[in-house]
Amino acid sequence: MAQSRREFLKRTAALSAASYIGMNLPYRKQNAALAADADSWHRGSCRLCGTGCRVELGVKNGKAVALRGVKDARTNFGYLCMKGMHFWKCMGHPDRLRTPLYRESKKDKFREISWEKALDIAAEKFADSVKKYGNDSVAYYGSGQALTEETYLFQKVFRGGLQTNNVEGNPRLCMASAVGGYLTSFGADEPIGGYADIEKAHCFFIIGSNTAEAHPVLFRRIMRRKLDNKDVKIINADPRISQTSRIADLHLQFDPGTDLALLNAMANVIIEEKLYDEKFLESYVTCKKGKKETVSFEEFKKFVADYTPEKAAAICRGNMTPDKIRQTARWFAGSKGTLSLWTMGINQRKRGVWANNLIHNLHILTGQLLTPGADSLSLTGQPNACGGVREGGGLCHILPGHRLVAKEKLRNQVEDAWGIPHGRIPPKPGYHTMALFSAVNEGKIKALWVNCTSPMQSLPNVDLYSKGMRREDVFMICSDIFPTLTTEAANLVLPAAFHFEKTGVYGCTERRSQLTLKAVNAPDGAMPEVWIVREWAKKLAEKMDDPVISKCVEPFEGLEPDFALPKAIWDEYSQKLTSGRDNDLRGATYTVLQKMPDGVQWPAPTEAYALTGGTVKKFVRGMDPLADTHAKDDKPYQFYGHAHDDGKLWLWLREQADPEEIPDKDYPFYLSTGRIVDHWHTMSMTGRIPELLRANPYAFVEVNPRDAAKLGIKPGDMVEVESRRGKNFLPAKVYEGPTEGMVFVYWHDQHPDRLINMVTKDGYDPGSKEPEFKICACRVKRISGPKPLKPYIV
Amino acid sequence: MPIGGFIVNAVPEDLEVAVAFLTAIPEVEIHGHDKGGNIVLVIDAPDSEHMQRVVKKINDCASVLTVGLTYLNVEDEADTIPAGADVTGIFHGGPASGSAG
Repeated sequence: MAQSRREFLKRTAALSAASYIGMNLPYRKQNAALAADADSWHRGSCRLCGTGCRVELGVKNGKAVALRGVKDARTNFGYLCMKGMHFWKCMGHPDRLRTPLYRESKKDKFREISWEKALDIAAEKFADSVKKYGNDSVAYYGSGQALTEETYLFQKVFRGGLQTNNVEGNPRLCMASAVGGYLTSFGADEPIGGYADIEKAHCFFIIGSNTAEAHPVLFRRIMRRKLDNKDVKIINADPRISQTSRIADLHLQFDPGTDLALLNAMANVIIEEKLYDEKFLESYVTCKKGKKETVSFEEFKKFVADYTPEKAAAICRGNMTPDKIRQTARWFAGSKGTLSLWTMGINQRKRGVWANNLIHNLHILTGQLLTPGADSLSLTGQPNACGGVREGGGLCHILPGHRLVAKEKLRNQVEDAWGIPHGRIPPKPGYHTMALFSAVNEGKIKALWVNCTSPMQSLPNVDLYSKGMRREDVFMICSDIFPTLTTEAANLVLPAAFHFEKTGVYGCTERRSQLTLKAVNAPDGAMPEVWIVREWAKKLAEKMDDPVISKCVEPFEGLEPDFALPKAIWDEYSQKLTSGRDNDLRGATYTVLQKMPDGVQWPAPTEAYALTGGTVKKFVRGMDPLADTHAKDDKPYQFYGHAHDDGKLWLWLREQADPEEIPDKDYPFYLSTGRIVDHWHTMSMTGRIPELLRANPYAFVEVNPRDAAKLGIKPGDMVEVESRRGKNFLPAKVYEGPTEGMVFVYWHDQHPDRLINMVTKDGYDPGSKEPEFKICACRVKRISGPKPLKPYIV
Repeated sequence: MPIGGFIVNAVPEDLEVAVAFLTAIPEVEIHGHDKGGNIVLVIDAPDSEHMQRVVKKINDCASVLTVGLTYLNVEDEADTIPAGADVTGIFHGGPASGSAG
């Protein structure tokens, strides 16, 4: 590259950065003769977490050559993280799947086949299964990374066409407890506020989240808020000291699974010291012991009175003291705006819904809700777990628009919208994820379609569930962009287009829907999933001789797949299925989404309203149009969520509950798992980006230095981590991270020696059905000194 | 040879220390800074992996809180998409292809 052009690009880079902080540099973008840094810029969302950062992909000669943040986006204000910086390298990567692969038997090698043949086989196998074994012998298992249009169309064909609610997705593994928490505490899924509260908060309560590594761009905003406002307090509650703890004023470290006691003790201090908002409680709150069991606030007080800070500190152990609990409660209640943030440390638990409830309790008690800077905000792990799966009908018990499968009236609404006969969608919810893969193990599922996810790696106790997917009598389709451990167990592998190679909507953490437009062509042979589903459904209709299946895709017939097809699907979903629902997206048309730098927050019933950005705070009159239309009185807050008939927030009496497995003499350590900054989930993408792979080529186990000393483990030693389900062999990082008595392992590694989900436990929350990835018992022993290891990826 | 525009957030009280630290890194050009601890810099690295290492080095500086990317140009690398890294086992089909490394 000519030096003058490099200088031009460097100035462009500097000006771009300076503009985000309002800094003037002593030069301007100049010398247009040097040509633009890209032929065209294409706006979309980042692919690699749930924050929803807006980016623009610069394309030159049909290839991605540059990436920049979108300054006006209220998600990231132009900032990106290093992982996001690299995702473009998945485009055109030599490992990309480019042609359908098929094998009749899983013992055979794959052979390349045409799309025509592949779709024919896919249709025949699903049709045969339904004819021989019934509608519930087939299933779809999708992803919080699929576009909303994709999830919506898959579930439409499965429910309306194949007449099964066996529609599930990997958000069950990460978000289901947050859904349960929001529904049972606030009466409606998804947060009341959003990221805008970060710049207004005076106290951050970060619990069960390593925000610095899992949501680095949000962490930057939190950190900036603290640097600019010295009165801001940050409390980090986590059994492990992480990068997030660096900026905390107070770090509470405790034994895994004991934080329900902490949260109840905080509630106790808030009540004992009269830090609660009596007027808010009187106006908006009901105390609940069970869904149908209402109790008085006096009973609630009595309940939490048992959780004295002294008692909780004794349960929590670690560095917890009664004074720290009191201090935390005072900061939480007394700030001018408290924002709680959490992720999997709270959700992936045997009592994940309860843990969510108890965080919400603190906000309800103190009235730290609905006002600037105050919110109870569950951070999403995947880019479209909220938009596609929670809202679009991607779980076994919910239909599009937050409708419950079990309610006939709601099923009928969906059937009417689709123009199919009443009764076509069965009344019984399908299998939730763990039940689904148990059914696969038992041979009850004969045809399974896995889209954009890798359950052969991501399920807990994965060896057990891999058996079913390897069965010869289970026909499995995988649609994906790269080979994964799951494609290796499939019969039919369908190559899919990647992000920016197709068009569609992602809905991030804060009820925000954002459009990504196709910018580059997919590798020859890879196709958008919406095209795949439509073409498959047409063949399925023929083989089943069922015109209703044809009806499901009839509105989309003949549309080109890059824009017109996803747009038509989005139009159907947003206009017909969200009308009258709390996630009203009628105003968020493609036209509006193309105009907005950062999409629209629902509810957004009209285009004019959506063009303002939508609803920043739900339930607040004057800020949320549905709060006005649903208003039952003159109060400023209107809780219209469908799950609470009384229109109130619910304050829950929830006891401390142990994890399903706690350490004992045979398995004396806690094992917890999580994400590392450089890798995304099962590393099928990030493992193929050399910079990211080499930064963290394999998983390791973090061991507390005091435990390491007891076990004779030195840094880099090979260590066996064994549970009742399986074992791993990993290099040790001796590190003041996990609390004493706990080890921590990253879950991205595909190598059978280091695939930690062979060790994790498959117990799950009885309400949300979300597995308890975060806690199980294990034993740890040194095997040898350091050994050279190679990264491994299928 | 990627070029990246970044905002580094330094601890405001340690701004001078951070600037001195960054100035000593050959791949880094500082284009401005303010009292709030914001530092505008450009990294010009021979390849993305090198850039990653520089960013990590900056991140590890005790005076630095975050490193935020705002712009990245990789047009030199666009024609040579990395051909995968040092990995064992490619997609052969069949269960658990490839041997453990």
